[in-house]
Amino acid sequence: MTALALDIDTVLDGLDRMASQRPVAARIVATSNSDRTSAVGLANALGADVALAAKVMKLANSAYFGLSGKVTSLQFAVTVVGFNSVRSIATIALANLDDERLLPQGFGELSLHLAAAAGSLGPRFGTRTADGMALGLLAPLGMALLHQTDRHGYDQLVAATELGSQRFAAESIRYGICSPQLSGEALNQWHFPADMVDALRAVASGPEGALLRTSYELTARLVEPHHKKRALERLSDQRITETEASARLTAIRTDVRELRSALGL
Amino acid sequence: MTASSAAPAGEDERAQAPGHPPDVVAAVFHATSGEPHVALLVAARGADGDPVIRWSNPGACELLGLAASDLDGAPLSEIVLPPDGVRIDHLFRRERPTTSAVNVRTAVGEEVSCRMRTAPSPDGDLWTLQIQPAQSDLELVLRASAEAHEQRFKVLAERSPVPTMMSEQGMRLGHVNDALCALVGVTADRLLGTGWLNHIHRDDLERVTETAIAVLAGQEREMEARFVDTQQRVRHTDVRFTPLHTPGIGDGFVATLEDITERRAFEAQLSYQANHDSLTGLPRRNKLWDHIATVMEDPDAGLACMFLDLDNFKVVNDSLGHKAGDALLVEVARRLSGSVRPGDLVARFGGDEFVIACGTRSVEAALEVADRVLRVLSEPFVLDGVEVHPRGSIGVVLRRPDHQSPDDLIRDCDIAMYQAKSRGKGRVMVLDESARGAVYDTLTLVSDLRQAIEERRITLCYQPIMRFDEDGRRLASVEALARWQHPDRGAIAADVFVRLAEEHGLVRDLGLVVLDQACAAMARWQDELGPLAPPRMNVNLSALQMSDYQLVQAVKGTLRRHGLDPHHLCLEITESALMNDPDTASTILAQLRDHGVQVAIDDFGTGYSSLAYLRRLPVNYLKVDQSFVAELQDGHTAVARAVISLARNLGIDVVAEGVETHAQMEILDILGCPLRQGYGISTPLDDAGFVDWCRTGHPLATVGSR
Repeated sequence: MTALALDIDTVLDGLDRMASQRPVAARIVATSNSDRTSAVGLANALGADVALAAKVMKLANSAYFGLSGKVTSLQFAVTVVGFNSVRSIATIALANLDDERLLPQGFGELSLHLAAAAGSLGPRFGTRTADGMALGLLAPLGMALLHQTDRHGYDQLVAATELGSQRFAAESIRYGICSPQLSGEALNQWHFPADMVDALRAVASGPEGALLRTSYELTARLVEPHHKKRALERLSDQRITETEASARLTAIRTDVRELRSALGL
Repeated sequence: MTASSAAPAGEDERAQAPGHPPDVVAAVFHATSGEPHVALLVAARGADGDPVIRWSNPGACELLGLAASDLDGAPLSEIVLPPDGVRIDHLFRRERPTTSAVNVRTAVGEEVSCRMRTAPSPDGDLWTLQIQPAQSDLELVLRASAEAHEQRFKVLAERSPVPTMMSEQGMRLGHVNDALCALVGVTADRLLGTGWLNHIHRDDLERVTETAIAVLAGQEREMEARFVDTQQRVRHTDVRFTPLHTPGIGDGFVATLEDITERRAFEAQLSYQANHDSLTGLPRRNKLWDHIATVMEDPDAGLACMFLDLDNFKVVNDSLGHKAGDALLVEVARRLSGSVRPGDLVARFGGDEFVIACGTRSVEAALEVADRVLRVLSEPFVLDGVEVHPRGSIGVVLRRPDHQSPDDLIRDCDIAMYQAKSRGKGRVMVLDESARGAVYDTLTLVSDLRQAIEERRITLCYQPIMRFDEDGRRLASVEALARWQHPDRGAIAADVFVRLAEEHGLVRDLGLVVLDQACAAMARWQDELGPLAPPRMNVNLSALQMSDYQLVQAVKGTLRRHGLDPHHLCLEITESALMNDPDTASTILAQLRDHGVQVAIDDFGTGYSSLAYLRRLPVNYLKVDQSFVAELQDGHTAVARAVISLARNLGIDVVAEGVETHAQMEILDILGCPLRQGYGISTPLDDAGFVDWCRTGHPLATVGSR
């Protein structure tokens, strides 16, 4: 596959333009990035966008957080799902990741599985569940951006590669950057926490990317029937072993069901 | 110009931000470029498009270990290593700064983890790179300290024998320790997230969630919750929740659990023992009460109550011993439990009494159960080699609106049981309304009697006992007779209220009131009448008082209180009462007589006195029953004659009761019975009437010839 000169600045400019069309979502992302933000402040910002507020309420009341039907206030919902989840939901809206027409096939499922996998595995890697979930949810953002930039070429690339390192390598060859790293650049532009950006940038190697690498591998096992397995021990820096893969996959499947309903992806 | 002070060629022009005068820009540049703790580089794209270093400050030279001259013109890719898969030119944007985690290679080949901020110049040809080690020395120390703290906490939590769980956000657990895993019997993976909720007893899940919500809102809470382990065993725990707020992240909690399963089991055992009969294992009265009260909370719930009393249980107990009696009760309990329907309750009420509570509105259904109980109960049972056929009487009552409490319901089925007993035992009886009315009436009368005794509204009247001999007639004694004038019902017959007193535990108090009033009257008469006063006062004792060892002390105390000599008092006890427990009676009477109190046997001839006992009993008088006196004038003198003769031989005086006619008087003269009492001498008199009768010389009543 031939290389394509991808101008990241142009791609990110496009993202900024999209964000300007959703000012409330942009304010929520900005608010949740501030160290001084309280649950009250974030809930107030969220309250200005009924659709986003409803999504957060739905997520907080989902079985995923164990409080089905018990969360009645937006402020409580924010504390239940965590600031990162709120920011991720707002980001999905900002980047039009909830518009299937603009997304590569299977994007929603991939996003859900990565969110469930990273949320479930997070504590093993020193990452909070909700933070892991937010990371997984937004990791495919770069994939959407590549798809918007090079629709036909990217679809071909996806069809020809397995999810995971093989695809990342192909993306790097064609675009000079792989999709999670592009996600990292986008989130960096929106001032997401540095460790989240670092985790995306280090998806190919490095300890910061171990959670995401492992999540991509388990997701691939669930969504791609003929996926060629890669050893979990190596991907996860020995934090996850193959012997527990089965239990992990079961837990992720359960979480996917709960999140699918809650997030409406 | 040295590297530490010189700007890249043409910088003066390019660095000028619009609207900022050159001298201001120069001042800012001077301050920042000379800062030794900030590493600054300026890079431009080289001929091949890769960034090349154009300028460096002392901070950069110090960080990299290279001189500014060595850095000038060097490809940036030799010094700055971006993350794998990220090309270095991606860190250089034309219009926006970027921040990246990179590794910086120093002169000695060491790779230092840094964060690099890349800011483009206004025209987009140059980039200023600000490089800072990812962590300063202070940050490294603080991080090491924080990690050490975290590790200590982790070890403490994980090794702690106290089951502990931690949620960082909402109900999803981020950490559990080994003790919690051991408590539930699963690995941590099964508890993390919302997995722990699967191990909470389903009846407690709602409360746990409500509690967690309050904790997430910032409150500390403590609660009891049951966990279910992998083998479906219930573990009772005391859970203490503490809120855990992480600024900028959200709210979670830390919870520690105390396994109180054994304590609960012990409490349950104590509760079971308190609520269940140790012999039969059946619920006790309090459990029965609770059960009925719970059912009665629903006004529409059907409930039938059955009271079962074993017939002739005392016979088994007395003949085969208490051990056999206990075995019979155990067997009966087993049979009862096997005869009722699921949901019905069988309780041991006490002794040989059982109560069955059936959830039904139908009297037919209740009778079906009762009939089955009697049938199963009567099957033969071998006790110590003896075949017994247990039988019982069952009273049945259906709950009605006027049953306000378990007491009402059980009282009514108790009444029904007594109806069953009174109609021949071994049968089932549904509560008869008229009988219930009679019982209510009796209970009301008993209540009134109790009040009358307390208020000393029991009055006395007095019937003289006269001695007739050749010297004429003399007052020998006077018998005090209790009277009760009911405010609504008028005079209540003495045999009625004495029997009620005996049946309802009032006889002791009644006896003491009568004794006290009689002694008071005697003392008063002695003052008022002097030699005309009766020499003695006869007071009746109930049979039940004859087993009261405090009687003697009570009599002594009463005599002392009224200043009477003991010989002024004669206590009368019926022959049948005496023979209930002759040994005890003999002991008590001996003590009384030793004290100087006289003793008479009342209604003599109607009981079955053993002559051997009679000889040993400390008795002063026999009172010939009035039925024998009544038949004297019909020529039937044999019994009276025999009694009088017997008494004379034993050295005991005889009083003829119920003397009403001259004919009887004449025959008694012939038989040699000088002491007489009856309407033929005087009717019972009230206090004033008796005093008048004494003062007027003891006039005989007008009596007939017959």
